[in-house]
Amino acid sequence: MTDVTEPRTVMRGTYYDDHEPGRRFVHHWGRTLTRHDVIDFATMTNQYNPLHFNVEYARAHGHPDVVAPGLLVYNICLGLSVEDLSEAGGPFLNLTGVTFLQPVYPGDTLTCESVVLDRRLSKSRPGWGIVEWESAGHRQDGECVVRYRRANLALTREGSGNVQ
Amino acid sequence: MRHVDLTGRGNYFEDFTVGQRLRHIRGRTVTNEDNMRWTLRTLNTAQAHFNLEYATGMLDGIFPERLVMGGATLALVVGMTSEDLAEQTVRELGYDDIRLTAPVFQGDTLWAESEVLELTGLDDEPGAGTLTYRFRGWKGTDTTVATGTRRIVVRRRPAGAGKESS
Repeated sequence: MTDVTEPRTVMRGTYYDDHEPGRRFVHHWGRTLTRHDVIDFATMTNQYNPLHFNVEYARAHGHPDVVAPGLLVYNICLGLSVEDLSEAGGPFLNLTGVTFLQPVYPGDTLTCESVVLDRRLSKSRPGWGIVEWESAGHRQDGECVVRYRRANLALTREGSGNVQ
Repeated sequence: MRHVDLTGRGNYFEDFTVGQRLRHIRGRTVTNEDNMRWTLRTLNTAQAHFNLEYATGMLDGIFPERLVMGGATLALVVGMTSEDLAEQTVRELGYDDIRLTAPVFQGDTLWAESEVLELTGLDDEPGAGTLTYRFRGWKGTDTTVATGTRRIVVRRRPAGAGKESS
């Protein structure tokens, strides 16, 4: 028997309308860091501090392994949050209050969650709004390792032409 | 081998002064490998960073290429400041007021400069102090692509580290 139905595209991402202040998102997947991740990020982005790529130096300074650069930890939390928060939206506007609370090492697994702090419609761009979130990244033992506030331009459902 | 010999001698906490400005010597040309590596390895699903047809079709075609992911641009700009300012970092405290003010594409060459904003001793950590600096990354003649401030804890000069004569 031939299936005559059209293939369906599973839509991904969210609109401005979905970001009620106070709404909490537990983001998908999680991500385990490897030593390669840490050394590769540090070296490929020119982070010249041996704590990130010399394990003997890191141990001599009291760490069990190389230390993940803060921006690697931030970028992983950001990446995990994109489908829920900003994938269908517009450009990144600002990032502030980035606070690193605990060191992250190879073998640690990060998960991320976010809360909508605020939103407003754009006066200059019809069909768009600005949403601000607070996000937090956690290690497998439950310790919060990073927090930050991020704001993006977000498309409204009406502005997307995808009114449901 | 002494670990103290593995890093520079002129970038300990006491070597910095508030208001000091640095123009960092090395630039960095961005590739799509930089962009896609950090987009994809961090599970970032925004396809404007890794789908050329999608990126060039957005917003009536204003972008000629995949947009370099902002977190990658930020890391590359901060990286250019690192040997001068952060080689002796004991731990990172955070970032504030990050703005990404122009899109970055493969082939753009980034440069960076910094200014020391604040130096604070730590009562419970006599071997280090907090350094806050502002950074700016730009491309082309002077198109700013990223600005922000960074807070780090920087080691004071240990005994036996010597002092750079330059």
